[in-house]
Amino acid sequence: MDVDRRDILKGLIGGSAIAAVVASAIPAAVKEPDAIPAVPDAVGLLYDATVCIGCRACMPACQNANGLTPDRGGSGGLYMQPDTLNAHTKNLIKLYTAPDGHEKSFMKQQCMHCIDPACVSGCPMNALHKEPHGVVGWNPTLCIGCRYCQVACPFNIPKFEWDKVNPKIVKCELCRHIVGKTDTQPACTKVCPTHAVVYGKRTDLLAEAHRRIEANPDKYFENRVYGEFEAGGTQCLILSHVDFARLGLPALGNESPPAQVRRVSEFIYRGFLTPIVLYGGLAGVMHYRWKHHLIHSETSDHREGDPHPPQETNP
Amino acid sequence: MIGRWQRCVRLNQPLLTKPFFVFASLAALAFILGLFREFTGLGYVTGLNDGYTWGLFKNWNVTALTALGSGGYAVAILTWLFNQRKFHPIMRTALLTSFLGYGTGMIALGFDVGRPWNFLHFNNPRNWNPHSVLMEVAICMTAYVIFALDVENMPPFLERLYKSPDPKKSVLAMRIFYAIRGTFPFFVALAFLLPSMHQSSLGGLMFLAGSRVHPLWQTPRIPLLYLLMAYILGLACVLMVLLLSSMVWNLGWDLDVLEQLTKLMGRITVVWIAVQFADLAYRGVLHQAFTFDYFSCWFLAETMLLLVPALLLWFKPLRTEPGTLFLLTFLLSLGGVIYRFTPTTIAFFPLGNYKYFPSITEILMSIGFTSFAITLFLIAVKRFAILPAPAGKITPDAAVGPFDAM
Repeated sequence: MDVDRRDILKGLIGGSAIAAVVASAIPAAVKEPDAIPAVPDAVGLLYDATVCIGCRACMPACQNANGLTPDRGGSGGLYMQPDTLNAHTKNLIKLYTAPDGHEKSFMKQQCMHCIDPACVSGCPMNALHKEPHGVVGWNPTLCIGCRYCQVACPFNIPKFEWDKVNPKIVKCELCRHIVGKTDTQPACTKVCPTHAVVYGKRTDLLAEAHRRIEANPDKYFENRVYGEFEAGGTQCLILSHVDFARLGLPALGNESPPAQVRRVSEFIYRGFLTPIVLYGGLAGVMHYRWKHHLIHSETSDHREGDPHPPQETNP
Repeated sequence: MIGRWQRCVRLNQPLLTKPFFVFASLAALAFILGLFREFTGLGYVTGLNDGYTWGLFKNWNVTALTALGSGGYAVAILTWLFNQRKFHPIMRTALLTSFLGYGTGMIALGFDVGRPWNFLHFNNPRNWNPHSVLMEVAICMTAYVIFALDVENMPPFLERLYKSPDPKKSVLAMRIFYAIRGTFPFFVALAFLLPSMHQSSLGGLMFLAGSRVHPLWQTPRIPLLYLLMAYILGLACVLMVLLLSSMVWNLGWDLDVLEQLTKLMGRITVVWIAVQFADLAYRGVLHQAFTFDYFSCWFLAETMLLLVPALLLWFKPLRTEPGTLFLLTFLLSLGGVIYRFTPTTIAFFPLGNYKYFPSITEILMSIGFTSFAITLFLIAVKRFAILPAPAGKITPDAAVGPFDAM
């Protein structure tokens, strides 16, 4: 029994040693930075709820630009009236009214184009990906329709065509099929009569947002821009005089969800070193066991010292 | 009848029985509904919506059934790594449940994904997202089924080939055996590594959802909890399958084996609960478990379903009575399965006015794919030497010679 154990130990150590050597040959440069900064030319939107008049002109503009059929659900079939983002709606203007009726604010709901998006990090096939200007795009030829993006998105933005045989993931892609080709800006900012939503480089938009906050010190909620730091930063930024949480914007930490996942993965996997070392050890033990098992099975049955050895009986 | 299980035997009984037809029809219905789904869309057959996008197929058929199908992984660790040779006769049963759990889970997944034809691009590793936990799960599960479970489940087939009256087939079986004999331990080692990776990653999947999962369930330690739960549910499933098979086909009770499996399952469960509560305390959310709101009650019910059977199984008289043992194991696995359901449904915040309850067709399909596994199990145990039998029941159909070793 003692010999037995020593041999196993030898197998385990031997296997692990070989594996460790193999693993160390793999470059250890797999460690990632925790936070991903925005690309220098990242573009986005700045939506200022205090400027928005709720005309909803951006909604049909979005529908037309993206070839979406209008959702007439909320109006009994008369006109476009979606109540949430859905497979027909990538952009929605909502009205928040406080229970006492005094505090009101519009809210533009759409993809926030995160700097380090959970949907892109989770997407198994890279169907959701970052475009050159940091826009989160969707590639229909790679998407398998697993809907992990919908589970992962902290804002619950990606929508799925549940009633289609060939379902697509529907979400704002910042009119990437138009911008830089037939137009200079997305459909929603182009039609906005009050410039409540404007398009531009993220750095410029952020500077503009802070300029507005400084010009009107107590106008905006907590004197901050939603999306500057939330979930690692978003490229679409929001200014409002109402508590962001009441507008449906979740309170998120400054670390992006993918960064948190990478931290845990890196802790477990150590740049894939753990599985390789583990496999080496396991293979070492198994090799030893298997060798002895083959010898053993030819000479006796499974149980040593069994008072009733098995007998082949013919019924 | 109490007796030690010695070898695997083929059940010499008619295949076409009433239960077989029931399970086979349920399975057929699931595939018919599945075909219907291919021509309509997911919304017509399931209760899923944009708030709750993962439902019964992913939670029961994939997440829960692969955990219940971790028996082959858990028992193999006992048999091989811990050198407990007495578990060898139940290895084939355990490996078969694993294969069927994973196999039918993957079938259900094929119907659940919206654009399955794009799986073609899975063949090109350049399309794999190395940061995606889901991709890791997909690769590991596929590799586990193809490279580990297939090889591990080969012995019964080879044996049948070997016993064939045609000498050519016997020679072929021996040739295959000698071809894989040298590499077999490396495949088994893969069968330890891959489930360790994907069973933990199944939990890691939900970590990306961050604040969308209630803090009682959302934790950076969720991979560890999911991995431990896979051992618990894997052992529970093997136990239930063995107990039911023994009851139905009168294979005797190897109390030595059953009792040890139960003891182990109960102790891992207690460790699991300890880890969970330690984690809650460490994250400072332990008080949320006792606020007795909706989430707290659900959490406590789940914990009780695990804890009470686990503690009761500590008493030997309860472990050695097959009926009680089955009931307690069933309750314990129910708690475990609910735990695997919770993060995507009960404890998931859909951020909007969404409700989810599986539709009737969805439930029928889910049951049907599970029935498909049971149907295949019935075919397998009546065609191959899978189930363990005590000395007095070993017939010429029993496992033989070189293949018995695998």
